[in-house]
Amino acid sequence: MSLQQTATAIAGPRKGAGNSFRWQFLTPWLLLLPAFLSLASVSVYPILNGLWLSFTNTSLITQEHDFVGFANYRLLWVDDLFWNAWWHTITFTAVSTLAETLLGLAIALLLFEHFAFRGVVRAAMLVPWAMPTVVTSKMFGWLFDGQHGLINYLLKSAGIISENVNWLGSVDNALWTIIFADVWKTTPFMALLLLAGLHTIPKSLIEAARMDGARSLATFWYVRLPMLLPTLLIAGLFRALDAFRVFDLVYVLTGGGPADSTETLSTLNYKTLFSTLQFGYGSAISTAMFITEAMIALGFCIFLYERLRRQK
Amino acid sequence: MIYAYSPLRRFGLYIGALLALIWSGGPFLWQLSSSFQLDRELTTGSPKFWPSPFTIEHYINLVVEKSFQEYIYNSIIVASLTTLFGLFVGSLAAFSLSRLDIRGKFGVLGIILSISMFPQIAIVGPLYLLASDLGLLDTYASLVITYLALGLPLVTWVLFGYFETLPREIDEAARMDGCSTLGLLFRIILPISLPSLVTTGLLAFIAAWNEFMFALAFTSSIEHQTVPVGIANFTNLYYVPWGDIAAASVVVTVPLIVLVLVFQKHIIEGLTQGGVKE
Amino acid sequence: MSQDESGRSAAKTALAASLNRRSLLKGASLAAGSMAVGGGLLASTASGARAQGRTEITFASAKFYAKKTIAQIVDAYNESQTKIHVKYIELPPPSSSTEVHQALVQQLARRNGAPDVFTQDVVWIAEFAGAGWALPLDEYFPAAARAEYFPGLIDACTYQGKLTALPWIVDGGMLFYRKDLLEGIGAKVPETWADMTTIAMELQKSGKVDFGYLWQGKQAEVLVCDAVSVIGSNNGSILAADGKSATIGNDQAVEAIQFLYDTINKSKISPADVLSWDEEPSRLPFTGGKAAFLRNWSYVYGIAQDKSASSVVDKVGVAPLPHFAGGKSASCLGGYQYGVNASTKNREAAVEFLTWMSSPATQLRFAIDLGLAPTRPAVYDEAELAKEQPFMQTLQSVFTGATPRPVTPKYAQVSLALQSGLSRGLVSGDIKKELTATASKIDAILGA
Repeated sequence: MSLQQTATAIAGPRKGAGNSFRWQFLTPWLLLLPAFLSLASVSVYPILNGLWLSFTNTSLITQEHDFVGFANYRLLWVDDLFWNAWWHTITFTAVSTLAETLLGLAIALLLFEHFAFRGVVRAAMLVPWAMPTVVTSKMFGWLFDGQHGLINYLLKSAGIISENVNWLGSVDNALWTIIFADVWKTTPFMALLLLAGLHTIPKSLIEAARMDGARSLATFWYVRLPMLLPTLLIAGLFRALDAFRVFDLVYVLTGGGPADSTETLSTLNYKTLFSTLQFGYGSAISTAMFITEAMIALGFCIFLYERLRRQK
Repeated sequence: MIYAYSPLRRFGLYIGALLALIWSGGPFLWQLSSSFQLDRELTTGSPKFWPSPFTIEHYINLVVEKSFQEYIYNSIIVASLTTLFGLFVGSLAAFSLSRLDIRGKFGVLGIILSISMFPQIAIVGPLYLLASDLGLLDTYASLVITYLALGLPLVTWVLFGYFETLPREIDEAARMDGCSTLGLLFRIILPISLPSLVTTGLLAFIAAWNEFMFALAFTSSIEHQTVPVGIANFTNLYYVPWGDIAAASVVVTVPLIVLVLVFQKHIIEGLTQGGVKE
Repeated sequence: MSQDESGRSAAKTALAASLNRRSLLKGASLAAGSMAVGGGLLASTASGARAQGRTEITFASAKFYAKKTIAQIVDAYNESQTKIHVKYIELPPPSSSTEVHQALVQQLARRNGAPDVFTQDVVWIAEFAGAGWALPLDEYFPAAARAEYFPGLIDACTYQGKLTALPWIVDGGMLFYRKDLLEGIGAKVPETWADMTTIAMELQKSGKVDFGYLWQGKQAEVLVCDAVSVIGSNNGSILAADGKSATIGNDQAVEAIQFLYDTINKSKISPADVLSWDEEPSRLPFTGGKAAFLRNWSYVYGIAQDKSASSVVDKVGVAPLPHFAGGKSASCLGGYQYGVNASTKNREAAVEFLTWMSSPATQLRFAIDLGLAPTRPAVYDEAELAKEQPFMQTLQSVFTGATPRPVTPKYAQVSLALQSGLSRGLVSGDIKKELTATASKIDAILGA
């Protein structure tokens, strides 16, 4: 390489040093601009509007709209239904994200190997994610119906259960059934991202480990997993944020019941905002959801940040 | 040869593949079977897996009664535009964050992420009003703009994560060859990131394809309503015509699977270029 | 940069971007309307060509359809006269009832006169009237005109002494039973819950059916409907007559809900799955031939008679729901009503359109072409109805005794409290405790 080329690469096209410095500073931001414009167009107004409403007693039914300070938040703090829903949502998020990560990882590792018809299995793996959500929610209503559902029929035919299990109408089962449905529906999301992640690991690393006599498990634990960790964290982060807002499955399958045992923050928020039109209180719930999500994200990001820093 | 697995391992692989097939494809096959059965057969208590009597009335209903093809057309337009814009805007942002010298990069990533934290239920209402004031109700634009923003955090983050795995030496080499910043992105980084673009594109496409709440709120005519709204419209009062819904879900899922099978090749081709990884 | 710093800078960016937004400055009055959403009220489709010189009014309704659509009926009106042109705005179907409600509320709250005429669920009447959004119709439909409707419906359309809605179509909870099975054991159609339980247990024991009685216990609006029927049939009520306090903690109500609990846990004529069932899941085993009795709306009959969907064609009968000894049958009133926007600028045209829409002739068209039951008893005697919809004719007795759900402008909140409380009672079995707690919750809602 010539010295001249190197100089051009460092200083950029010769237009004068000041100009090129400005460009160097501006270019990254210019490239970010479209993304910011897009996000702002959809988020700024609704979020500020919601924040403002959460400090008012706005309700379309009583037609009040006065500023009430933190009154909604004080009410929220002592509202049993809110905390009930909060715990269900946290449980749902934690269990389903964990299960989807483990299962997704297993499927990704499987599909990474070479075998006949791998392409077909890869495509089939995506089916749950590809089916319209409006259909899958109703479909799980059918599959898990305690009396005419296919799941009970199959389990009984196989001799695993002798009595029909009441999957959705019992306080002990309903939340777990919904978690199961969510795991089925969204595991492909994890599997696909992890599969893409696996492909980015240099083969030479794995071969080197094999040459050193490492067994499969050891290769996985000491080479693949650490290399996969950033992808795992990013995918898990998005899955957790999404799981936290679970709505369709709950609303269609149980409506939050029986006895409020599956009420989640989104269904509670929907009922407050859409059914009773209490915008003030409903917006306070939204804000509380936002704060909880931000804390979840913060947890993931600390891990991720550490990880990326160590990699450098 | 790398692929020479031991017989035991090979056996395990096929068992695993079979389980994955059943787990993912089972409910779909049941839908497929339901779509060829009369609704009455679904409530008899002993489900049949092989349709008898066999009927295609549900598929006829889709086309003749429900004009389902129109919803599919709308969905294809909305989801494709969302995916294309999303990949373009997202890769610009991810490239900037990963490859260029930018201060506060994690702060920027945090801001981008924050839109994924706000409950969508709470933003439907204000956005409806906004769209109404701007005259955007019942247009493709209202849906594409919304889906683009909702999908952008995922696209940007995943591409950012992927770009971070590409060695810096590529950039230096390209710069030395006289590549401009945009040239680096479009001629070097994006082509070697094809598998990752296909993956994120697929996720963005499916998310837009399946979205219901905003589509229900923003569109009101069959000229712009998407597939999920179309399926929800099947419900007449309380009656849920299950066979028609099963047929609809088969009709909209199969093209997506075909899409995956087609792009699959690109994923693998992109990967076997492996030289860049070292 | 750490995450919470980034969060703060996100807030700052957002705030800066917003400062010059006029929408923020408009303040609360705008905010009030801003959360509402619905199926594109503004983007409507005109039905029929607009004729010159006519008064144009808008009509918004949830989407009902069968052989024909509402748009076709509206077109018929536009063609029948030359003074008024009605633009029809289609809202989502009643299965998305929450969205329909919100779309209407948002428009009505703007008080700009659009839509001029709308249709509403029976439980929204008090809310719309209380907010002053619905025009009182007494002067246009005097006592003589009102007497032509089912009396229960006129009551439901009357809020604080004023008629603020006009009945359009009616539905109600009813008892579906298996004619063949009842004949088989020589039983009469039961009139009391006790009789029904006895028959159901007998049929269940003999193995002819898997389930005696199916109802809807999902924590949703339908649970309130089921509760209204049993409580009403025991001379009880959910709210006091003035709508200002809850009576659901009273003994009649507790006894009635205890009956529902017993169907699952004592007589076992209902599977525990009803606690997650709404209309369709409970309908399926019945039309599949596996149940003796079913509480549901009138739509079930058409499906039960459809050979491709049902295994019990010609075996199903319909009767008013049973009652407790000393009570009388109480069908939970459903259906939709017309309303006129209080801010309409075309009051005369709106009323004229309404008069046409609610006329016996138009009701007959809705009944025959869309399968929607008329609200005027006289229409049930029409020969054409007897020919085209023989089943609908038999429903007159069911609708005559229809009982409305609690009448209060805060119905939505009351309903959510009821859904939660009833579901808790049906799960725990401690009915008295849960209903008493629900009653005090409702009192707090009504008092606030």
